[in-house]
Amino acid sequence: MTYKPKEITEEVNISKIHPLTNLAQLLGTVVGVSLAIYIALGLAVDAIVPRIPIETEKAIGDSSIASAYLLLGGTPIENDPRISYLQELLNSLQDPEDKIPLTLHFLKSPIVNAAAIPGGHVLVTTAFLDEVKSENELAFVLAHELGHLRNRDGLRGLGRGLVLNLGWSLVFGTSGGGDSSVVGTVINLSSLNYSRSQESAADLSGLNAVIRRYGHGGHSLDLFKRLQDEETDLKVTEYFYSHPFSENRVKKLEKNADKNGWSMQGEKTALPQVFSQ
Amino acid sequence: MILTTLEGVPGKEILEHYGIVQGSTVRAKNIGKDFLAGMKNIIGGELKGYTELLQEARQEALDRMVLQGQQLGANAIVNIRFATSSVAQGAAELFAYGTAVRVS
Amino acid sequence: MEDLIFILSPFFVIGFGYLIGAYFEKQHYESIRKRERQTLHLPVVNYGCKQPLPEAREARLVVGEVVISPDAFKTFVLALRNLVGGRVTVYETLLDRARRESLLRLKEEAIAWGATQVLNVRYETATIGNSSQQGVASLEVIVYGTAIR
Repeated sequence: MTYKPKEITEEVNISKIHPLTNLAQLLGTVVGVSLAIYIALGLAVDAIVPRIPIETEKAIGDSSIASAYLLLGGTPIENDPRISYLQELLNSLQDPEDKIPLTLHFLKSPIVNAAAIPGGHVLVTTAFLDEVKSENELAFVLAHELGHLRNRDGLRGLGRGLVLNLGWSLVFGTSGGGDSSVVGTVINLSSLNYSRSQESAADLSGLNAVIRRYGHGGHSLDLFKRLQDEETDLKVTEYFYSHPFSENRVKKLEKNADKNGWSMQGEKTALPQVFSQ
Repeated sequence: MILTTLEGVPGKEILEHYGIVQGSTVRAKNIGKDFLAGMKNIIGGELKGYTELLQEARQEALDRMVLQGQQLGANAIVNIRFATSSVAQGAAELFAYGTAVRVS
Repeated sequence: MEDLIFILSPFFVIGFGYLIGAYFEKQHYESIRKRERQTLHLPVVNYGCKQPLPEAREARLVVGEVVISPDAFKTFVLALRNLVGGRVTVYETLLDRARRESLLRLKEEAIAWGATQVLNVRYETATIGNSSQQGVASLEVIVYGTAIR
């Protein structure tokens, strides 16, 4: 038996595919499949959300209100004369068909923002009230948030967030972000970021409520027009971050008002005395 | 190509040898199969998906080893050994090696 | 902007891992091929003494050992591959390098000792450390045999 030294020249233990091509194929498959699953589950969420009973909605909203405070960077104020006024204004804007009791939360915060949380919670910040010049524009913003509540956009966001979180934990074995409370994490991610179509639906619902309350939509969009000029101001960017704003939004509303025969002219209702103090 | 796990080929004499040849492949299972395996863990029994996967991988490792043997002009590979190792979470390597020889 | 950097930072690591990892892999393969040619003259077999052996006066255990770690790119691709299933091509080169490097070290040790042949060679592969999310996943390849002279 003799030894014959021979060289193995062809690499058989290595696949002939370039690593980057391999990565691209993998990424394509994974992204495609997960997108399909996400969309399918999202549709499922959309189908389920309108059937959630009010009690469940309240239970979900109540448990996430603390993280909503954090998100708006404020602490709730208990005794302020403006609260009862805001609460009354909010109640008067509610659609008569809606049964859910509304709760107004007034937050001391330097961030200019307003938000709606499932379970009839509407949050308004002190910095936001400082920007408001008339009741009409305040009413529109509140009614816009009520529109989100009415369409259950918050619940939809929660549902989609839950789906994402679930998928994440299935794949990677941990809950995303390492937060102990799943709902808490989800609120941060998605509760204040609605899609464009959800925003315009809420806009329309809001304008409708303003018309119901005042008989006209005059001055209700003034705040938007004013804030838009200040968009570069750091204080108000937060509001636009969660409520993507564009020229189109006002135009779309005015077009819709025209179509429905709503008057966009009318008298300005002043804010009550407590605001000028 | 004669493949054996013995030190030689019975009834034949080794004329020449060419050194060690090896074949290996790394395989990952997919999450679909993982999920089914998780279900199976409840009721027990053979994990057909995994068996198939490993069989396929083992065959590929063998094939690659044979390819190396052919390059060397061998007509048998003796003393074949398998080594399976888990190289990372969820991925296993199937490795086969032996000595490429020429028998009468 | 800071958030963006935070989100993208793993991808920088992966990209960096790919560039550097691919460079070192290429270098390593060049070195492996060169040394394989240099050590080709030493017969290495994995059968034992049931075959007729050349005359020898001395025998000794020789070992070649390598511990390797995948780069960030390979780890990332494996994570994706774990979802899809199938052949993990990026790890093939890793293990191929480790196998050949360990055998080369065994041969070099044997040649340094003056061996005429290495017999009964066995490979062993082990995962060192933790292969799950925490800790550095690394692989050990050890090859051992009996050198004679």
